[in-house]
Amino acid sequence: MKRYWWLGLIFIIGLILPRLVGEFWVHVAVEILILGLFAVSFNMIFGYMGQLSFGHAAYYGVGAYATGLLMVKASLPLPVGLVASMAAAGICALIIGYFCVRLTGIYFAILTLAFGQMLYYIIFQWYSFTGGDNGLQGINPPELLFSATAYYYFTLCVVTAALIVMWYISRSPFGYTMRSIRENADRTRFIGINVRRYMLINFVVAAMFAGLAGGLWGPFNRSVAPDLCNWHQSGIPVFMAVIGGPMGFLGPMIGSVIYIFLMAFVTGFTQYWPLVIGSIIIFVVLFMPGGVLGLAEARTKWFGSRRMEEGVDEPR
Amino acid sequence: MAEEVILKVTHLSKSFGGLIATNNVNYEMMRGELSAIIGPNGAGKSTFFNLLTGYHKVDSGEVRYKGRDITNWPPHRIVQLGISRAFQVSNIYPALTTYENIRQAILAQQKRILSFFTPAERLAKQETEELLQTAGLSEHADLLAGNLSQGDKKRLELAISLGSRPDLVFLDEPTAGMSREETQQTMKLVERLNREMGLTILFTEHDMSVVFGYARRLTVLHQGTIIAQGTPEEVRANETAQKIYLGEEA
Amino acid sequence: MDISLLFAQFMSGLARGMMFFLIASGLSLIFGVMNILNFAHATLWLAGAYFCYTFWHLMQDYGFALWVSIALASLVMAAVGWVIEVVLLRRVYERKLPEQLLLTYGLILVLGDLIKLTFGVEDKVIVRPPLVAGPVFLFDIPFDSYFVFVLLVGVSVAAGLWWFLKKTKYGHIVRAAVFSREMVSALGIRIPRIYTGVFVLGVFIAGLAGAVQAPVGSITLGMDMAVVVQAFCVVVIGGFGSLLGTFVGAMIVGEVYSFSILFWPEGALVLIFVVTAFILIVRPWGLFGTPMRT
Repeated sequence: MKRYWWLGLIFIIGLILPRLVGEFWVHVAVEILILGLFAVSFNMIFGYMGQLSFGHAAYYGVGAYATGLLMVKASLPLPVGLVASMAAAGICALIIGYFCVRLTGIYFAILTLAFGQMLYYIIFQWYSFTGGDNGLQGINPPELLFSATAYYYFTLCVVTAALIVMWYISRSPFGYTMRSIRENADRTRFIGINVRRYMLINFVVAAMFAGLAGGLWGPFNRSVAPDLCNWHQSGIPVFMAVIGGPMGFLGPMIGSVIYIFLMAFVTGFTQYWPLVIGSIIIFVVLFMPGGVLGLAEARTKWFGSRRMEEGVDEPR
Repeated sequence: MAEEVILKVTHLSKSFGGLIATNNVNYEMMRGELSAIIGPNGAGKSTFFNLLTGYHKVDSGEVRYKGRDITNWPPHRIVQLGISRAFQVSNIYPALTTYENIRQAILAQQKRILSFFTPAERLAKQETEELLQTAGLSEHADLLAGNLSQGDKKRLELAISLGSRPDLVFLDEPTAGMSREETQQTMKLVERLNREMGLTILFTEHDMSVVFGYARRLTVLHQGTIIAQGTPEEVRANETAQKIYLGEEA
Repeated sequence: MDISLLFAQFMSGLARGMMFFLIASGLSLIFGVMNILNFAHATLWLAGAYFCYTFWHLMQDYGFALWVSIALASLVMAAVGWVIEVVLLRRVYERKLPEQLLLTYGLILVLGDLIKLTFGVEDKVIVRPPLVAGPVFLFDIPFDSYFVFVLLVGVSVAAGLWWFLKKTKYGHIVRAAVFSREMVSALGIRIPRIYTGVFVLGVFIAGLAGAVQAPVGSITLGMDMAVVVQAFCVVVIGGFGSLLGTFVGAMIVGEVYSFSILFWPEGALVLIFVVTAFILIVRPWGLFGTPMRT
């Protein structure tokens, strides 16, 4: 418990943030939280299970549309929307994941990419239901949460709760099974674990949290668009996980802070944001493979003696 | 111990492309046996284990475990029935600690892996520590498995295969890369497991002193076919076996 | 539904397929030999188109402007490919898949913006020389005459690659490397040289494809994004590292798109991904790929 004092500090800072900064940065903070949740959910598949999904945005987008549609077309309250988002994302992941977990490595990556694009084009073309490339407008948060600050606190609570749940999962036998599948899927079969089934379960759970993040996004942005599903959106959690460091539970969240903050800052004075973030990605890949957390671990002894000689870049 | 046929293999065959790896093999094991399979490199020992444990699909033939047909079953189901395997090249979890490696096998056997919210640290403590001690790895419990010595990795491999509480264990070269002393320790452990816990064990080995020192029954494999079977003395006296294998060893 | 309409769609699919073959052949080669999926391949293609325009623009008073520009643009892209391989790509050969993918993904962003910086944001239009400006008639149906040129280029590239891979010593080495890097290395042939050569060749073809594409419609920013994932589909369907596979895959993608425009326009792109997913599920190494690589 002692080690986590700094988490408490961050949470306290989070609580008083709106008092410290202007509305623009409160908006940025909400974005960091939502996309951070998205990225941490992605890391359940990437960092913990060892597979690269390049279609995770499909569940984010489905979640966003689920909440958006229920709120706009059925006038249902936001909490209902969020639950529906998780369910919708989970169902999609169950179907898609059933096929994807049969593959690994590059084939898994491409298949998830293909399914993600499929969903993107379906949403894009299904004009009557989803509004096509116009997206869905007018998704308004409930009156209680209408101001940026109020929505921020709401998001902070939901995301914190979700992170705590995912944290427990990562420490549970299920979480260790994911690590064991990552480390040695063959060995895992030979201790009696149905690897495919567990990969699918993890895939679905991760998707549900991505759906939750998407559900939070709609009312924040007041609209949703098919772009939320495409491969660029899928690339964002990958960046965040890699920049922050996929080896630690909060790595992707750190990545989100860096990414969103940078983006807000850089787009303020140049349109060449892709150039900046692309260069950063290349730099991190070449020179900082463990991300920020990897750098921190190399410099401090926080994580004690549990280091392999060659350097570990996966969550223990 | 009641005389029971725990493993019955009939007419097992497997080829890869044009290469016959297993050629119409018939093999039986009684419960409580401690037996070995030997043969030159490429004789098909590992393939035999692979076929029995569902790692490869058989071309023809049948594998029965305690009377049940388990031919071509997926590995995880075979393990759940009570068969376990230690690999030739240590097949462990390098980025997990020794403790976590063993615990994972135990948790899998206890069917506790679908538990989402209980921290794994609290579970299976006693069983994990017992198995650690049995395998002689207690002092390395917190070391990352990837950092263990070769011999210790092999012992961890053995421990993991025991974690699933098997009745029948296949050990693929359990003492490969070990010093004289480590080999003794490991084989004494294997013997104890067989005698005190009633584990049926089949192992392969290249070290003849190990084979003759511990195996009570010997089978010689050559190019996928069994060419000799019996007690170590019988096999040693067998001319064909001598020519093909033991002669080369000398 | 008359025959001429079907035929027109078929030819349209053929044209599209040819374009995809040109884009994807380099991608397939690079993945087959080096096991690296070059996300930035389509961006390099786009750069080839932009370079072609730039050269053409300089020489546009001359009749041979377009042809020379195509050649020059391809060579420039080959040089760019060489720089990328030497400076960036070779550092990640030993790394794991996610890092390799991310590097090439980062390249898309960097190169995309570099293109924007260098060539500006306006659409570029190349005025075609009279030879290929008008229509040709096949069975009384008008077709773009430039399409004939594209077909010729596509067939030449296919033939050239085939000849290279099947008939030259270098080609044999490359084919062997698709099967087994270790074997080739054990034979004393320097793998790094092969990788550089293959990557440069792949990017050269991409640049050529882009340059050839340049006079079709206009050149706009973001064209690469529309095309790159479909190029992946081509390679997946056909099979990594297989020339025939890439060709067949490209034709499939081209024709599926073309015909579904007739029957189900909204679903055209969805269908391509459905086919891709189907292949990945049923036969991950593609129609003509080698199962060993799975």
